[in-house]
Amino acid sequence: MCNWCSYAGADAAGSARKTYPPNISVIRVMCTGRIDPQFVLKAFQSGADGVLILGCHPGDCHYKEGNYKALRRFHLLRRMLGQLGIDEGRFRLDWVSASEADKFVATVHDMVKTVKALGPLHKITAPSSLGTKGKGSGAFQEMGNG
Amino acid sequence: MKLRIGVYICSCGTNISENLDIDELARVSSSLDTVTYVKVHNLLCSEEGKNYLAEDILKEKPDRAVIAACTPKEHEKTFRNVLQKAGLNPYLFQMVNIREQIAWVTSDKTAATDKAKSAIRMAVRRVALHEPLEKKEIDCNTDALVIGAGPAGMEAALLLAKAGRKVSLVEKNAFIGGRVARYEEVFPKMECASCMLEPIMDEILHDENIELLSCSEVQEVLGFVGNFVVQIKKNAGFVDKDKCLGCGACYDVCPVKIKNEFDYNLSERHAIYVPYVGALPNVPVIDKKNCLRFKGENCTLCKESCMFDAINYDDKDELLERNVGGIIAATGFELFDPSVLPQYGYGRIPEVYTSLEFERLLSQTGPTGGKLLMKNSKEPESVAIIHCVGSRDKNFKEYCSSVCCMYALKFARLIEKHSPSVKVYDIYADWCVPGKDNQAFLNSVREWENIKFLHTSLPMNAEIQQKGDAITVSCTDINGKKNELSCGMVVLCPAMLPSKDNMRLSELLQITKDQDGFFAEGHTKLAPVSTNIDGIYIAGCSQGPKDIQNSVAQGAAAAGQVLASLVPGRKLELDVMTAEIDGKACAECMICLNLCPYKAIVLDREKKVAVVNTVLCKGCGTCVAACPSESANSRHFTTQQIFAEIEEALK
Repeated sequence: MCNWCSYAGADAAGSARKTYPPNISVIRVMCTGRIDPQFVLKAFQSGADGVLILGCHPGDCHYKEGNYKALRRFHLLRRMLGQLGIDEGRFRLDWVSASEADKFVATVHDMVKTVKALGPLHKITAPSSLGTKGKGSGAFQEMGNG
Repeated sequence: MKLRIGVYICSCGTNISENLDIDELARVSSSLDTVTYVKVHNLLCSEEGKNYLAEDILKEKPDRAVIAACTPKEHEKTFRNVLQKAGLNPYLFQMVNIREQIAWVTSDKTAATDKAKSAIRMAVRRVALHEPLEKKEIDCNTDALVIGAGPAGMEAALLLAKAGRKVSLVEKNAFIGGRVARYEEVFPKMECASCMLEPIMDEILHDENIELLSCSEVQEVLGFVGNFVVQIKKNAGFVDKDKCLGCGACYDVCPVKIKNEFDYNLSERHAIYVPYVGALPNVPVIDKKNCLRFKGENCTLCKESCMFDAINYDDKDELLERNVGGIIAATGFELFDPSVLPQYGYGRIPEVYTSLEFERLLSQTGPTGGKLLMKNSKEPESVAIIHCVGSRDKNFKEYCSSVCCMYALKFARLIEKHSPSVKVYDIYADWCVPGKDNQAFLNSVREWENIKFLHTSLPMNAEIQQKGDAITVSCTDINGKKNELSCGMVVLCPAMLPSKDNMRLSELLQITKDQDGFFAEGHTKLAPVSTNIDGIYIAGCSQGPKDIQNSVAQGAAAAGQVLASLVPGRKLELDVMTAEIDGKACAECMICLNLCPYKAIVLDREKKVAVVNTVLCKGCGTCVAACPSESANSRHFTTQQIFAEIEEALK
């Protein structure tokens, strides 16, 4: 979440004592423009079932244009994730202003609901036979990992 | 050597402790092998709490501190100050939000405690990667450049000079005063415009801190806030201002006669001229393009007539360089060209004028000496004034130009005063008359028996045709009824546009423009005279349509910004959490450069790397996320620090 709008919106939800599921972990950045696609990939790789990016509304970015950059990267990355076998519903971007406590809570609820319906993200590990010369390897096998 | 990481958990009275198990949180956190100690306090932000924290830091001397408490937006600064005073670099610290984002929003106490455990673990891992960032300072120049010597620019220049700053006031024309120099009277008090400006212009010319560079234009701007280097081209005027007395002997002997642009071509001038009687500085200039001598003939008539030897044909254009700390752009406005709308007949029908042209007709220094006369030197029987030409029209300019309703009333009042038998038709769509005195002015003009108002709807739909000697104006009023009236003269109120110079200047200064070409303010409400570039401010109509009162206010505001940010004897403090680029991996792809909204990244062509100017960098990190070679990193929000948080969050 970006420091200026969405993080403050989440704080506002706290001040209003609105409850939401505890299974979100918050990483604060100064601007959603800072969000490197690698962060998203790292998150999924480390075991996240979903990644949510929340930033300032278009036009309101504290740093003018950072949220537009985040939006561009988000669209491209989401399509890429789809091609990597990660359902696009697991990756979301939305705008939450400092006063939108309700929107924050609703977005979290909705994200958790969507990801729960998709189920946990399984990690695919390559079988050890892959890479040996000459020996044809079989297809990947999905191995539950968490 | 292992880092000593101290964790402090605040129970915030009962705010946190009633919703999560503090003891359990402390127990689990202290069992982490990366944590040296965990201490719990009731209220860390209180005076007692802060003293406890300071003393404990002095006692324990940790290498890093983690404080689990409320949101960092509340007390990160508080705790940073405490830590700094206690001898720990304030950036070797991470705050964990266990109140607003955990205790207050999680219904189940166990779940809340688990989430807090995870959050503390994330912070502990992150803080181990923090660097002891130090605030840097640089010297700055506290002088200023003001571009434009209209009401806004003059106000800014005078305030800055009063505060002891040196001001270079650059004006492209030979005269100062901006558009207002063309007006006879100004609303709503109907003050004499030249009398109002006179003392201001006089101060501008004589203040020893103001260097007026007329006939000059900014060519190049290098550097950044506190350290700008500006190149200014001063065009040769061929008259020495120190010798010239302004006697005027040289004008009439000049054989050349050409249209006077100051009067919008409604009058003529010579090749050596002042634009109007009373123009300041009272020093003529030679118009090179039209002067016979500069076209090859050996004419020396003006020089011969000068008793003070003030004319110098060998005068050359100069390229001047000035070092300044701040720049104020106050480049004013121009009017929408109504010839684009053929139904108004502008440019086709001789007696259709724009408001600025009409100002000249009403002015004592204008082509008719202030008498309301048509081109055939006769007084018109009636004048129609049409509001909203090109304004409030989705096809041209959607905005309201702010001043037209008021100056239309001013025109009516001036006609009433000087040509009381002339009838006035005022065709308007709405009345835009905010401000303390303006409604009363409207009320009083309404009482004149010779003025008739025609209320139409938007967009303005008047059609103007020449019918014999008179002009017919037809328009549909607000009730849908078609009206036709006959008059001798029509005055159009065209939309106010930014000066054409804004295009060139916005590139030179790297400041953004809005969709209509006005300079973009930093924030509509909270930063009306700032721009996206530190140290560069805007004022007056260059920022948007407004009247003289508001232009002057913005001029003062911009001066205030310069005075506040650039203080003699004080260094400029640089932001700490800026981006930095590791030269080794940088390939000069320039992706970062083009993305930066503050133009804070420059290319060092010698070293072949991109370099972040930490004076301008605001730390948003957009460049860091975009860098394909990972040479860019964000201080205090490094990729490694964030990766650590992500990994730990998902354990």
